Amino acid sequence: MSKTLDARGLSCPQPVLITLDEIKSAGEKDLLIIVDNEASKENVSRALTNQGWTVDGVEEDGGDYRIRAKKG
Amino acid sequence: MGFLNLFKRSPDKNGGRGNQSTDRGIMVFDSTSEVIRAETVIRENGWTVRVMGPPPEIRTGCDLVIEFPLIEHLNIRRLLEDAGVPPLQTVPVTGPLLEPVDIFFTKDFGAFLMVRAANMKITIDKQSSVIVNISGGGCPDVPFLAMEMVGKKLGDAPRPCSIGHTLCGYALDLAYDEIQRQYQCLR
Repeated sequence: MSKTLDARGLSCPQPVLITLDEIKSAGEKDLLIIVDNEASKENVSRALTNQGWTVDGVEEDGGDYRIRAKKG
Repeated sequence: MGFLNLFKRSPDKNGGRGNQSTDRGIMVFDSTSEVIRAETVIRENGWTVRVMGPPPEIRTGCDLVIEFPLIEHLNIRRLLEDAGVPPLQTVPVTGPLLEPVDIFFTKDFGAFLMVRAANMKITIDKQSSVIVNISGGGCPDVPFLAMEMVGKKLGDAPRPCSIGHTLCGYALDLAYDEIQRQYQCLR
């Protein structure tokens, strides 16, 4: 069961920061991050990769992006 | 009485804060690319200047101005004319409405610190100085700048002006300098 972070409506760098906070604090192994613009999608994906996470896939859904990621 | 004199303010060599503004002037340019060229030429010739936002009373030129030591007005103007980037207008900073505006905006996100310069933002982890995000702009080289810099510590990351070739790269370079300065203050 992955944890969902809804970062829609947040401007950069906040989607990245809540993702990093989640990675550091909760120790989740699977995350679903929802963002509402392409720049956030790119930035969050880059941040996840830099933290050693794997971006499993990105689905576009009516202007939103659903980023699935797992640790390792 | 002599002891009390220790706490007296010594005379300000700049003439005090009230007169300090008359020591500075601002140069207004037609475009931001001219500002970048002018700043580079001025710095290469040893003057200390700052890129700022235009004050409320200036309604010509672009979104950036150069603040410079007024006493060097003629020398700097001659230099810029020789370099092919003469300012549109030169104005002494004589009042609040002619005070140039800081182009930096800083936001503290707790564990993270963000600095925005013009249209570009850089965010670092305050503990490690690792760059965690670069955003803004809309120039074609922003994704490349982010790819090269995110995940690296300040100081280890390449300077934006050395790898970027757009106004966004220039603005990010200003933000990079400012966040480095602020990070030094945090330590």
